[in-house]
Amino acid sequence: MIFRDGRAISCRRRTVYKGVPSFRFPVGRLPDEALLAGLATGDPELAVTFVRRFQRTVFGVAIAVTGDPQLAEDIAQQTFERAWRHAQIYDSRRGSVTTWLTTIAHNLAIDAVRARRAEPVAPEDLDALLDAVTETPEQWALADEASSRLRAAVARLPREQGRALVMAGVYGMTARQVADREQIPLGTAKTRIRTAMGKLRGTLAAPNRGDHVQ
Amino acid sequence: MSNDVTCERLREIGAELALGVLPGRERAEAVAHLDRCAACREYVGHMTLVGDGLIGLLPGHEPPPGFETRVMRALEKDATAHEGDPHPRTVGPARGPVRGRLRAARLRTASAVAAFAVAFGVLGWAVGTAVENVTASPPASSSVTAGSRLLTGSLTSASAPARPAGDLYAHPGEPGWIYMSVDLADAGTPYSGQVRCTLERSDGSTVRVGTFALRNGYGEWGTAAPVDATTLTGARLTAPDGTVLATGHFTGGPKT
Repeated sequence: MIFRDGRAISCRRRTVYKGVPSFRFPVGRLPDEALLAGLATGDPELAVTFVRRFQRTVFGVAIAVTGDPQLAEDIAQQTFERAWRHAQIYDSRRGSVTTWLTTIAHNLAIDAVRARRAEPVAPEDLDALLDAVTETPEQWALADEASSRLRAAVARLPREQGRALVMAGVYGMTARQVADREQIPLGTAKTRIRTAMGKLRGTLAAPNRGDHVQ
Repeated sequence: MSNDVTCERLREIGAELALGVLPGRERAEAVAHLDRCAACREYVGHMTLVGDGLIGLLPGHEPPPGFETRVMRALEKDATAHEGDPHPRTVGPARGPVRGRLRAARLRTASAVAAFAVAFGVLGWAVGTAVENVTASPPASSSVTAGSRLLTGSLTSASAPARPAGDLYAHPGEPGWIYMSVDLADAGTPYSGQVRCTLERSDGSTVRVGTFALRNGYGEWGTAAPVDATTLTGARLTAPDGTVLATGHFTGGPKT
């Protein structure tokens, strides 16, 4: 199974561009995976194309988590450096290039935030981000079907579950930190995270997939 | 918490595990359970997809002016620091221990840089000299220039020529490179093992450009390669015993 642009697909992915002319192919239309391969071989124009294609997404993740433009820029730059160094280990069966890059950026941002401050996020930032995740018109317009379903599912969550989900899933806060922030018992925080994730999972996965109890 | 995490317990903490927020000891115990429970691995895999999807919902944001140039300079610096290694870089499915893969990737990255530097009498990656010109140009259409044209083609299985088996891309820039995605399984050849890639030229000559692994007929691979758009006609994938598994033709290339 792979995950591409928010969609879980239970088959092998192929980079197939049917009907595309077989000669004089502009780099701007190159599939993400092929562009990554070109980046790895050192073509400067492809590298610039790669950065241009993904910089908005990568910086968006970094600024959402950190709230600090300078820190976000550092993280976004590190993300592209890591992509350049580690393109060898990219495996398209595990997700799209976009997902791979956003995961790198997210992990770097979480590490940076944890290193800089004990309090991961201000309350007003949390609510603003939750609103942005669920109500950004631009994102609604551009999103694929799976992303739209996921966004709608987040929007349908009870507010307290949505907050717990964003705190854990975006800001990387532990259940204990969520409990402290919301002034609720630890078990309640865990339940909110688990329940929210379970509801979202239902929007992506086929019914009963992975439902197993030993 | 007991060292023996049950499936029921795993379902309680799987979301936190997938989001990377489970504290150390619990995480270790959960991972130990996953090592022996395929169903729970699948469950956590689904939860991980949800977490990835959540990150994918974050709104994009334009970086500050000059970001692109700074990134390119950083890549140039990184490339220069790793020059002088002996193997061409390849891109394909992950394999082997992570640490080894990362080291190998760095070695291969640097070698491609070194090869290019030798060929053009400069040190470091071409980004160093190209960044100013490339990043100074408008972002949308300027990326499509004469130097950025690609040859493309389709692979077909040797055993089922009528069925598509992947795609080919060849870039005649400096350095040239090729990239291919292969899916022989759909064409009835779920081959697993090493395959050799050979490029074919219009004069009948061939050049071996490397080997890579297929798993169940599937794989992706790219490498630096000599690509002359005026002579390159196709590519061939063969098993170690010489059996031709797939062939591809750059239909827009030179007449053969």
